Amino acid sequence: MMTAVGRRGWKLSSIALSLVLGLGTGGAAWAGEATPKTYISPYYFGHSELSGTLPKVGQRLPKTPAVVRFAADQSPGRHGGTMRLLIGRERDTRLMVVYGYARLVRYDRNYQLVPDLLEKFEVQEGRIFTLHLRPGHRWSDGHPFTAQDFKYYWQDVALNPELSPGGPPRVLMVDGRKPVFEVLSETVVRYTWQKPNPHFLPALAGASPKFIYRPAHYLKRFHIKYADPARLKRATAKQRLHNWSALHSLKDNLYRFDNPDLPTLHPWRNTTRGPAQRFVFLRNPYYHRVDPDGRQLPYIDRVILRVSTPSLIAAKTSGGETDLQARSLAFNQYTFLKMGEKRGRYKVHLWRTARGAHLALYPNLNVADPVWRGLFWNAQFRRALSLGIDRHEINQVLYYGLGTEGNNSVLPGSALYDPSVRYRWARYDVKKANELLDGLGLTERNDRGLRLLPDGRPMEIIIESSGEHTEQTDILELVHDSWLKLGIKMFSRPSQREILRKRVLSGQAMMAIWGGLTAGIATPDVSPAELAPTNPYQFHWPRWGLWFSSLGKQGTPPALPVARRLLTLYRNWETATSQDQRARIWRRMLELHADQVLTLGLIAAIPQPVVIGATLRNVPEVAVYHWNPGAYFGIYSPDTFWIARGK
Amino acid sequence: MFYFFLRRLSVMVPTLLVISILIFVIIQLPPGDYLSTLISELQAQGEDVDQEKLNFLRQRYGLDRPVVEQYALWMKGIFMYGDFGYSFEHNLPVVDVVGDQVFLSIIIAFTTILFTWIVSFPIGVYSATHQYSAADHTLTFIGFLGLATPNFLLALILMYLANVYFGISIGGLMEPHFLDQPWSWDKAVSIAEHLWVPVIVIGTAGTATLIRRLRANLLDELQKPYVNTARAKGLSETRLLLKYPMRVALNPFIADIGNLLPQLLSSAAIVSVVLSLPTTGPLLLRALQSQDMYLAGFLLMCLSLLTVIGMFLSDLALAALDPRIRLTGIRQK
Repeated sequence: MMTAVGRRGWKLSSIALSLVLGLGTGGAAWAGEATPKTYISPYYFGHSELSGTLPKVGQRLPKTPAVVRFAADQSPGRHGGTMRLLIGRERDTRLMVVYGYARLVRYDRNYQLVPDLLEKFEVQEGRIFTLHLRPGHRWSDGHPFTAQDFKYYWQDVALNPELSPGGPPRVLMVDGRKPVFEVLSETVVRYTWQKPNPHFLPALAGASPKFIYRPAHYLKRFHIKYADPARLKRATAKQRLHNWSALHSLKDNLYRFDNPDLPTLHPWRNTTRGPAQRFVFLRNPYYHRVDPDGRQLPYIDRVILRVSTPSLIAAKTSGGETDLQARSLAFNQYTFLKMGEKRGRYKVHLWRTARGAHLALYPNLNVADPVWRGLFWNAQFRRALSLGIDRHEINQVLYYGLGTEGNNSVLPGSALYDPSVRYRWARYDVKKANELLDGLGLTERNDRGLRLLPDGRPMEIIIESSGEHTEQTDILELVHDSWLKLGIKMFSRPSQREILRKRVLSGQAMMAIWGGLTAGIATPDVSPAELAPTNPYQFHWPRWGLWFSSLGKQGTPPALPVARRLLTLYRNWETATSQDQRARIWRRMLELHADQVLTLGLIAAIPQPVVIGATLRNVPEVAVYHWNPGAYFGIYSPDTFWIARGK
Repeated sequence: MFYFFLRRLSVMVPTLLVISILIFVIIQLPPGDYLSTLISELQAQGEDVDQEKLNFLRQRYGLDRPVVEQYALWMKGIFMYGDFGYSFEHNLPVVDVVGDQVFLSIIIAFTTILFTWIVSFPIGVYSATHQYSAADHTLTFIGFLGLATPNFLLALILMYLANVYFGISIGGLMEPHFLDQPWSWDKAVSIAEHLWVPVIVIGTAGTATLIRRLRANLLDELQKPYVNTARAKGLSETRLLLKYPMRVALNPFIADIGNLLPQLLSSAAIVSVVLSLPTTGPLLLRALQSQDMYLAGFLLMCLSLLTVIGMFLSDLALAALDPRIRLTGIRQK
């Protein structure tokens, strides 16, 4: 089977999908319109073009630029202006890679994969990927972006034992085997695996993407294979590093965006070398997208990131010091932000968030106490606990009723959403919960009305938290009250992230509170790894997750049948060749999770305040704020945001 | 006198060595390392982490080795190459990270000290000479108010008022567009505009202590017979005050210089964090939080070094000022 995802194919499927998803009228899209006849260069480069230091816009763009098609809530804009953002620490310069969102393939607003830096891509049998670059595409320094950049990454970075001691990244390996990499022409490369690799394209489109290309012309001067040894040695010593690979890794950080010399393909390029309190990003003259009228994007000339104490960001925002801010703003600051709208000349909107649960309880199936382990392993017990939580009350008391109740599962808006799954065992029903507990033979009670465990101890559950948010303590207070009606006493124990993790892994902690599924708006192509024991940071089965992630060297193999079943399903998903198959596996996994109540979701879709400067245009008012897929503002294409002339 | 100095100097080296061990051990005490803190932080923001990359980094930074070995490497770097290590968070040698912030820290601390002295000396002297007068009570009351108000609260309130009424940007030491600009008159003015909030906030607490100490010291001296004698000999009141009791009352302040030097660097970390000042205080706090151990170690070493030097200097000054101290030093020899 061959799926050509080029100019037309994906468009039809995206319309079909947008109908299914009910997500509205498409998004800024990346092909389909006829290519404009002439291109309009921003005034910003007017002088450099006249003086000849920069080629004309026609020569700067690829032969076929990506043409943006606007969504209903967006409109063509004008060039110019500065956008200011606040960040919590210097490391956050990487947000410009996240927001810039130039990817080989990217998600459109309906979470469908579409080519972006690539002109098109072809997938055969889920294992042969042919990537077509845009002829004439250039890095931000004007050097051509070609198949050589892919070859450099694969041969000289991924396969170099000093730069990648662990071998190529895991998404490029299937069953521990490397792909066959071929350069078919200057603009076409192909990766061929033995078996399907469903992780490949999503990894390229991720918020923190796998960069399978590198600006070879720049990095070669730091590579032992190409560089002059004496000069390389001097440069290494100058940075006080011990070997060339450390120097190469330091210079080669496309994600962190902290090296102004490193060419980029993103809409804005960094011009500030740290340490600094203020980072200036200027427009990339060779950026590959244009608007329908032929204006080269981005519209905005400069983006300025300012470092500030995270706790001050809300106050600074209300003083009007930012044009686009969601980071370090939380729902409980909404009223404060709303109050400052006039003074700070901005509007604050509430975007949906897309975690399967904002917070969830994780009964530790690997808990050391054998009596409790016995109970946690019993699905009826977990169901009773879930039925005994009054989610409506939590929603009303803490979130003004704006959250979405239900268990820890995908949200409305995901193609996999099914209300019967989301609300299974998640409606408040004390009577039913008590019946279930009685049915387990837990009928003995002490003089305070608490049920007794089989060995005579009173039923007291301790829930441990990372101790960072008072919100968690508030929620647990409500859970405490409703569980008391089941005859179960609950204590909360705030500790510290690292300690919590260790206690969960060693089985000392009985239950933890933490954020729920990150893939709350998953498509069938998103990895369902979170639903199976694959990672030691999964608080309900850390030892099983450790077993999987360490390839059986540490931890213990999953002992509960449902966990084994989920792991098998996950492995099936990895080798599935069609989207239908993957969707079926996803549904089955979600179904199992909901029915077996492996985690207890509390509340989901807590809105995220997004502050938008009064003159900033094209930022949607109704949208989803999510890391992956989504890249926060990324899928709404900040390169199409523009600044209206204001006072 | 010479041996006195020499002895003082020779004690400094082992002191610093012991301090360096303590610092290193304490930084390493909390569970995890820089990378595990990084993972947790990223995950708390909803981002995912590349496990392979982390293992690679852990190896490269030597975080997988035992503490003793890490310490030995750190010391070796310092003594043999003057290399204080590498900041994981900033991807730079630590010395390059600190640069600018030291300068701003010193400006703030210096202005603050100046502010406290200018305010508290006249008040202290006045309330000592006019003990229990209405003015003494009022000034003392205000001083105590300053001491009792939590710094960070005062910082928040002043910052808010400054923003609403004077339109000064919240936090920071200058208007945003001056950041990373070369120095100019306008930039200096902007800094001056922003400086008064932290100076007042950090200064108020110090002012009260200084006033009380000066007042108490002076009162002690003013009761002494030599004051009466001087007065009987017809010395003018001001001259008398400044020439004798005041001079003796100053002793504790000179002894305090030792503490002032490290303050120049660490100047009120909490206030700086609240006000988002680009000084070394928040830098140190962040380094400790994220377990960026070489950066934290470097800053703490600097502070210790300054404390030790400060102590040395105040010893010198005291010895010069007060013969009793000098003599004790010689007698021990």
